[in-house]
Amino acid sequence: MATVDLSQFHKTFFEESLEGLDAMEAALLALDSGSADHELVHTIFRAAHSIKGGAATFGFADVAAFTHVAESLLEEVRSGRRAVDAGLTDLLLRSVDCLRAMLARTARGQPVADAASEALRIELTQLVAGEAAPAPAAAQAGATAVDGWDIRFVGLPHLLRSGHEPLRLFRELQQLGRLEVLRAFVGDAVAADFSTLDPGECHLGWELRLHGAVARPDLDAVFEWLDGDCELAIAPLAAVEPVAPSPEPAVAAPAAAREASAAGHADGGSIRVGIDKVDALIDMMGELVITQSMLNDIGANFDLSQLERLREGLAQLERNTRELQDSVMRIRMLPIGTVFNRFPRLVRDLERKLGKQVKLELHGEHTELDKTVLEKIGDPMVHLVRNAIDHGLELPRQRRAAGKPEAGTLRLDAHHEGGNIVVRISDDGAGLNHERIRAKAVERGLVPPDQPLGDDEIAALIFEPGFSTAAQATDLSGRGVGMDVVRRNVRDLGGSVGVKSVAGQGSVFTIALPLTLAIIDGLVTAVGGERYIVPLISIVESLRLPADAVRRTAGGGEVFRFRDEYLPVIRLHRAFGCADAVTEIGRGIVVVVEDGGQRVGLLVDELVGQQQAVIKSLEKHYRQVQGVSGATIVSDGSVALIVDVGGVVRLGRCSGKAA
Amino acid sequence: MAGKRAAKRDGEQMVGDAAVRLPPDCRLGALSALHAELVAALPGGAVELDGSQVERVDTAALQLLVLLCRELDRRGGTLAWRGSSAALDEAAGLLGVAKILELPAAGPA
Amino acid sequence: MAKILAVDDSASMRGMVAFTLRGAGHEVTEAENGQLALDAAGAGAFDLVLADVNMPVMDGIAMVRALRARPEYQGVPILMLTTESHTEKKMEGKAAGATGWLVKPFDPDQLLATVKRVLG
Repeated sequence: MATVDLSQFHKTFFEESLEGLDAMEAALLALDSGSADHELVHTIFRAAHSIKGGAATFGFADVAAFTHVAESLLEEVRSGRRAVDAGLTDLLLRSVDCLRAMLARTARGQPVADAASEALRIELTQLVAGEAAPAPAAAQAGATAVDGWDIRFVGLPHLLRSGHEPLRLFRELQQLGRLEVLRAFVGDAVAADFSTLDPGECHLGWELRLHGAVARPDLDAVFEWLDGDCELAIAPLAAVEPVAPSPEPAVAAPAAAREASAAGHADGGSIRVGIDKVDALIDMMGELVITQSMLNDIGANFDLSQLERLREGLAQLERNTRELQDSVMRIRMLPIGTVFNRFPRLVRDLERKLGKQVKLELHGEHTELDKTVLEKIGDPMVHLVRNAIDHGLELPRQRRAAGKPEAGTLRLDAHHEGGNIVVRISDDGAGLNHERIRAKAVERGLVPPDQPLGDDEIAALIFEPGFSTAAQATDLSGRGVGMDVVRRNVRDLGGSVGVKSVAGQGSVFTIALPLTLAIIDGLVTAVGGERYIVPLISIVESLRLPADAVRRTAGGGEVFRFRDEYLPVIRLHRAFGCADAVTEIGRGIVVVVEDGGQRVGLLVDELVGQQQAVIKSLEKHYRQVQGVSGATIVSDGSVALIVDVGGVVRLGRCSGKAA
Repeated sequence: MAGKRAAKRDGEQMVGDAAVRLPPDCRLGALSALHAELVAALPGGAVELDGSQVERVDTAALQLLVLLCRELDRRGGTLAWRGSSAALDEAAGLLGVAKILELPAAGPA
Repeated sequence: MAKILAVDDSASMRGMVAFTLRGAGHEVTEAENGQLALDAAGAGAFDLVLADVNMPVMDGIAMVRALRARPEYQGVPILMLTTESHTEKKMEGKAAGATGWLVKPFDPDQLLATVKRVLG
C-alpha cells in the first residue's frame, strides 16, 4: 500500500498525542469545576480530533476507533446537543486515561485494545445518540453499465474563486473516457458591459458528452468537491444491461503500519525545543565565531604589545562560552507546568475518595527545569501531594471545628532560587504531630530517647526509611512507599527535600533541585594533595573554628556549636583516606553543609575557589563510591571528586548516633 | 488612449488597432491588468491579440477572451491573432472555446 | 513541480504531508496554524494550499476566508484536511472558499493522487 515509510513520524505522533491528552484532561477538569468556557470544549475536541486523525493516518486502528467514538460524543457537546455533567466528565477523563494506556501499548508494539478499552469504547458508543453501525458506503444499488454520459455543467459565479478549474475537471474526465465538448456557452448573468465585468467571476457553462463505460461513482468523484459551486445535470447516454455491483472487499485498516511500529520503540528520548531557544543558540554561535577569528588574528602576528587585546579576547571567549553553555542547557529546559498539570486530576480524585475538599493553587508553572529532572520529579511530588491531602488536610467537619474554612488549600509553587529550582508543596492542614513522630522514632530506634531534638529535626525524621505517621493506613498511604523513597528520589536528582510544620497551621515541604544534572556550581577544596568539590547548593557557610570550639562526644565523635545547634564534624581526610592533610581543626576550614534539613561540618585544608563542574559519572568509569557523587576535571587539568553531601551527612549522623 | 498604444506598435496595422500581448502566466491573478488593457483596446474596433508567450492559462482567462469576442461582436469589431502558443491552443480546445475565439488550432478534445 | 503550503498544528501530520510531497519533488512550506500560514502565503506564491480545519490561533476556515480575500490567492486550490465525520465542516470550508478536501486518514498515495488531481 503506502509507498512512503511513515514510521519516522510515529514518535512525534505519540509525543503530541500525549500532550493533547494532557490538554484535554486539564480542560475537562476546568469544565468540571464549573467553567462554561466554550474554548475549553474546543480544546478538548481539537485534541481528540488530532489524535484520531493521526492514529488513523499512521495505522493505529484501535486508537483511531476509540477516539472516533469519543470525538463523536464531543462533537455533540460542541454543537450544543449534549450538556456537560459530572458523569460525562468522568467518562471522558476515564477515556483520557484509557487513551494514554493505549498509546503506551502502541508505542511498545503491544496489542492495543484490551477488555477495559473495549468496555469503555462500548460505553461511549452507547452514549452517542442514535449512532448506528457505520453503513458500508458502497451499496450503489443496481449499478448500471452505460456507454456514456451527457453532462451539463454550468459554473456559478464563485466557481473559479474557490480554486476550481474546469480545465482540470475536463482532464480528469478525459481519464475516464473520451470527452466531447458539445457546446460552451456564456451564461445570462454576466455583466452586459465588458468594461465593468469581473474577470474572477465564472459565467461559462458546458454541455459535455463522455463516451465509454464509465461507472457513475467514478463520474461523481470528479465533481465531488463542486456541490454548491455549479449547476450539474448528468444523464446516461443509453442504458445497457444492469450488472451486479462488483463485490469489492472492504478496505482493511492499514495493518502494515502497525507492524512497523511494533519494531521496538527504544526510548531514545527526544525533546521539542522552541525556535527561540535554537535561535539564541545560533546567535551565540555567531559571536563565538567572531571571537575565534579575532583571537586567530591576534595569534597570527603576536607580540607583547598585543597582550591587552589577547586578554580582552580571552575574556570575551569566556563570556561566549558561558552564554553558549547557558543556551545549550536551556534547550533541555521545560516548564514545570507539565508536571503541575497532573495534579488537578489527582486532587480531584483524592477529594472524592477521601471526602475532603481541596482548593488547589498552582504558582510558577513557567519555571523551567532540566527535562530529566522534570521527568523524575513527578513521582516524588505526587507522593507529597497525596500525603498532604491524605494526612495533612483535615476532613471538612474537623476543619470547621478548628475554625478553618471547610476546603483546605494545597499550594504548589516553583521558582528559581540561586542556581536551583525550589518546589514547595504547602497545605493549611493539621501540621505534623511532632510528639508522635518523636515517639515513633524512638520506638523504632531511630533516635535515642534522651536526645534533645528541635522541631525541624523531629520533622526531618519522617524521611527516615520505614517511617509512617498515619494513624491508620488508608488505601493511599498503605502502599509501602514512604517519605524515605521521596527523599531518595530527590537525592538521586542531586536535590534535597525538607519539611517545616506548625501544628494546627499546616506543613511546607520544600524540594530544592539543581537546574541541570550535568553541571553543578561547586566549591573546590583541598584535602591533602586531593581536590574535593562541594556543591554550592548544599553549603550553608564556611568558617575557621578556634581549636577549643570543638567538643568530643562520649563516643569519640566531634561536635561544634553552629548558631544554636551542635553539628558533628566530619573530617574529609579521614572519610576519604587522604594523606598529608590538615588534621588540626583550628588550622583547617570547616564547611557547613546541609542536606534534607540536617547539617554537618566538613573539615578541609583550605578553599581553592569556585568552579562550575561538569559531572562525570564515577559509576560509569570506575564504580560507585560512598560519599562521592561523581568526578570532574578542574581548571589545572587534574581530576577532582564531587562530594555527595547527602551521603556524607548520613555518615556523620550515623557515626554520631553510633557514639 | 487606444490610439496612443497602437502608435507605439509596428506600423503594419491600421491606426487604431491594438495588439494586446497575453502574459506568459495568463491566469486569474493577471487578469485585472489584462482586462484593463482589453478595455483600453476596445474603442479601436479591431483587437489584435498576441498569445505566443502564453505558458500557463486558465479558464478565467479564456472566459475573458470569450467575453471579449462577444463584446466585439456586439460592437461590430473584429478579433485577430498575431500568434498563439501550444498551451493556449490546448486549453481553448479542451474547454471547447477555440472556435469562438477563432484560434488557429481547434483540435478535438 | 509545485509550491505547496502545508498547514496543520499536528507536527506528525504536517511532517507526513511535507515529507510525502517533497518526496514527489514538490517544494513544501510548513505552517502550524492559520495565522502563520497567512504570513507564509504573503511571502511566496503557492500553487496549492493544504490546511487542517481545527487549529489553535486561527483555524483553517478563517484562514481560507482570509486567503481568498487576497487577489493573488483567488484561483489557487485550497484543500481542507478533514475527517469524515464532519460534513458540516466540509460545507463550512467550502463556503469560506475551499476547493475541496482530503479526508483523514489518508495515506501518502492518496495524498499524492489528490494533489496531482488539483494541480492538473
